Amino acid sequence: MPKTSLDLMQGTVAVLILKTLSWGAMHGYDISRSIRQRSDGALGLEDAALYQALHRLERKGWIHAEWGLSENNRRAKFYQLTPDGRSALQAEVSTWRSYVEAVSKVLETA
Amino acid sequence: MPRQRLFRFPWRTAAQVAADVDEELDFHLELMAQELVDEGWPPEGARAEAVRRFGDLEGTRRVCRSLDTRKETQMKWTESLGDFGQDLRFGGRQLAKSPGFTLVAILTLALGIGATISVFSVVYGVVLRSLPWTEPERLVRPLFVSPEGEEHGAFSAPNFVDLRAQSRTLSGLAGVNGGTLNLSGLGAEPERLPAAHVTANYFDVLGVRPLAGRTFAADEDRPGAPRVAVISEELWGRRFGRDPKVIGQSLTLSGQPYTVVGVLARGTQLPSGADVWVPLVFSEQDLRQRGAVYFAAIGRLAPGVSWEQARAELEVIARRLAQQYPDANAGYMKGMTLQSLQENMTSDTRKPLLILLGAVASVLLIACVNVANLLLVRAAAREGEIVIRAALGAGRARIVRQLLTESLVLSLAGGAAGVALAAWVTKMLVKLAPREIPRLEEIGLDGTILLFALGLSLLTGLLFGLAPALQTSRTDLSGVIREGTRGSKGRAATRARGALVVLEMAMAVVLLAGAGLLIRSFARLQQVDPGFNPKGVVTFNLELPASKYSDDAKLRTFMAGLLERLEQLPGVSSAGATVYGMPLDDQVNVLTFSVAGRPPAPPGKEDSMRIANATPDYFRTLGIRIVRGRGFTPQDRDGAPQVVVITEEAARRFFPHEEPLGKRIDLGWTVDDVPRGGEVVGIAADFKQETLSQKSEPQLYLPYDQAPLESLAVVLRSDRDPQVVAAAAKEKVRELDPDLPIYGLQSMADVVAKSTAQSRFYMLLLGGFAVISLVLAAIGIYGVIAYAVRQRTQEIGIRMALGATGERVTRMVVSQGIVLAGVGAVVGLAAALLATRGMQSLLFEVKASDPTIYVGVAAVLVAVAAFASYLPARRAARTDPQLALRGEV
Repeated sequence: MPKTSLDLMQGTVAVLILKTLSWGAMHGYDISRSIRQRSDGALGLEDAALYQALHRLERKGWIHAEWGLSENNRRAKFYQLTPDGRSALQAEVSTWRSYVEAVSKVLETA
Repeated sequence: MPRQRLFRFPWRTAAQVAADVDEELDFHLELMAQELVDEGWPPEGARAEAVRRFGDLEGTRRVCRSLDTRKETQMKWTESLGDFGQDLRFGGRQLAKSPGFTLVAILTLALGIGATISVFSVVYGVVLRSLPWTEPERLVRPLFVSPEGEEHGAFSAPNFVDLRAQSRTLSGLAGVNGGTLNLSGLGAEPERLPAAHVTANYFDVLGVRPLAGRTFAADEDRPGAPRVAVISEELWGRRFGRDPKVIGQSLTLSGQPYTVVGVLARGTQLPSGADVWVPLVFSEQDLRQRGAVYFAAIGRLAPGVSWEQARAELEVIARRLAQQYPDANAGYMKGMTLQSLQENMTSDTRKPLLILLGAVASVLLIACVNVANLLLVRAAAREGEIVIRAALGAGRARIVRQLLTESLVLSLAGGAAGVALAAWVTKMLVKLAPREIPRLEEIGLDGTILLFALGLSLLTGLLFGLAPALQTSRTDLSGVIREGTRGSKGRAATRARGALVVLEMAMAVVLLAGAGLLIRSFARLQQVDPGFNPKGVVTFNLELPASKYSDDAKLRTFMAGLLERLEQLPGVSSAGATVYGMPLDDQVNVLTFSVAGRPPAPPGKEDSMRIANATPDYFRTLGIRIVRGRGFTPQDRDGAPQVVVITEEAARRFFPHEEPLGKRIDLGWTVDDVPRGGEVVGIAADFKQETLSQKSEPQLYLPYDQAPLESLAVVLRSDRDPQVVAAAAKEKVRELDPDLPIYGLQSMADVVAKSTAQSRFYMLLLGGFAVISLVLAAIGIYGVIAYAVRQRTQEIGIRMALGATGERVTRMVVSQGIVLAGVGAVVGLAAALLATRGMQSLLFEVKASDPTIYVGVAAVLVAVAAFASYLPARRAARTDPQLALRGEV
């Protein structure tokens, strides 16, 4: 696994989770794997941080959890976006975009 | 925003939350390990590697558990509150749908709760609320116990001083002597004030701070100290307009100048209840007279000393004093006991008030029973609704909760109406209550009472709501569906309603019996012959200050002038005066005497009787009959042969087998070397000396001129309006002595009425409660019978179709009510026999087990029940059999 110097902020983890869940309900392991695959492992998101963020988001009411059966017929906790979570995701994404744009502008002109 | 869910999983416990977190993490680790194995890790190391890659596993576990637990709790609360709000709204709607039921229920509850709050506020204000002193429970009143076992609270100055000096268990002992003082000057009418002579430490012992100025300094009760006085806030407002400059001002009290040093706040005047306090000064002479007992003592237990320790120590001191001074003390004190000051102040009223509280609680209970009954009837009508709710998945607990919420809405509404009612009733009670009840002025609705009202309402709601709610919720779904809507549990509910009616009938019987006893006792009291004729008689009191009327001659001159002036008043047919002789008065003067010619009685065994003096026309004015011999004449003056008049009871008791007329009675003391007493010249009718209920004690009269005293009770007989006569009499007294206040001005009819005021108060109150309970019980039985009739419409129709007459149906229904009432009466009579035992001390010439009362009460109850059942019975008798059979009624 390649090392990275990118340290993930809590808010960033939340956006990643919300984005991942926008395709449908998933359990924690799938969320973790999906983020790892789509970032090519570059983000180095620790599972510990992921699960804490999941439970925090659940408490906030942005995501909703229900027990269901996994592909291999095991009891698993599935998370899905609530309407609140969906609008939060849109807000976070546009914030993130303008942040990235601003930072890129600074970096490119330098 | 939490998502509105249509149903939810049951709430999880903390352990379940933890297990869920564990399971979720475990699931992740397992899949991760599997992934590693797929990548080529050896299976035995895969799990450990998965845990390592996870990061801080235990920390995450902890964080997740705590987050989930908090979320769970929060949701639980939100949902309960939401449910409660929903229940409230639903309950309110249900109640609004049947306004008749709701109104009757709320009014019934308002009556019960309002009455209870009123009586409780009186009991609380008089008995329960602590006294306005620092640590009132540590204040005690020492009482001597005589060799005969009687308790006396009176101290002599030497005994007081010795007890105070020797006691270590009391941090302070104060002396207090009640009485009255004449306030004159200040450019207004002279006034008689309730006063207290108190030792300088009195206010410190009670722990009372003055409102303005100061209380007494330590040396202000020494002989020769400057005369100082503390006045009440009430007097300060009335005579000085709350002028702060009153401190330092001079007052004339009974002819002596006093300087005002302080003002005492309202409510802190107890226990003396005075308007003015002056130091209780012990003169040299007072300190020598160990036998002269005339004032009370109040002590405060020293810190850390228990009641029993103090009593034991004071007992030892009292015994020592009795041994040391046997002449004065041996017959008076054998030991000592302590009484709590609070108890001392309320002991006379405590018991009747607690009886009233018990009575009013029964009224409330009956109100609850009635509302419970209404709810049961209503529940039968709502069975369909409940079944549907149960079928939709509402659990029994949920349904009970809904029904209880409705009850609480009812009881809180009833409680609010009750508080409004109580505010009015309490005012009436305070106005009606006899003045003997202490601390009446402190009674009112305050925070504590309102809190009590709230608690009472909630309790009431639970009380009447729980049983019907449980009963209603016990729904047998299939049963209802099979039997149709006509009550699957009809029989059980009918039994429950019957039991409730029996219960309230029984309680009504107890109240009726108590009220009946009091009414009979009061009627007996009204029939008592007081021994005088109060009609047209006005009385007032005068206290001639010793500073001005310093010898007997001055007293005689004043009396002669007074009677002469009063007799000239228009409409006045006669006037007289007495000292210690007034009927229905608590001034008592008992002295020993001997009859000339009989061997002297051993010391301590002398005969004694009440001694009073009277002017010649006193007997005629009050209408006291002279049975034999003669009354006093103007010739029985000072210097003439000494004569006395005795009452019939005195003649019976002391001259059982001989003629008292002509016998000489010696009082055993002399004035100017002349032995006092005299020849018995007349026998007067007995009269009631202190209360109507007591037996007349032997009494002896001396002619006023031959034994003049200062504390006069004057009586006037006239055919004019008492108010007018009183005003004219006041004017005449002013002519004689402008500084002399008139007090206790009232008609003799009022005196008689006041002496029965306490009995009347308790009788009216208990009677009122009994009537309310009877009405409620009648409504209860009416409701049950009416409901039963409605349920049995078809059956009655069949009976009538088969030839039963309307009369027969009526009899059948009424007898059902009478059976219920009969059972209630039997249960109630048994309970009443027990409950009224405690009332004996309130009764006059009536036994608490008086059979006529019990028979009468049972008859009244059955009659009322018969009437209450007759109304639905008549309706049943008019049933049209055809309609009934087709189920159209």
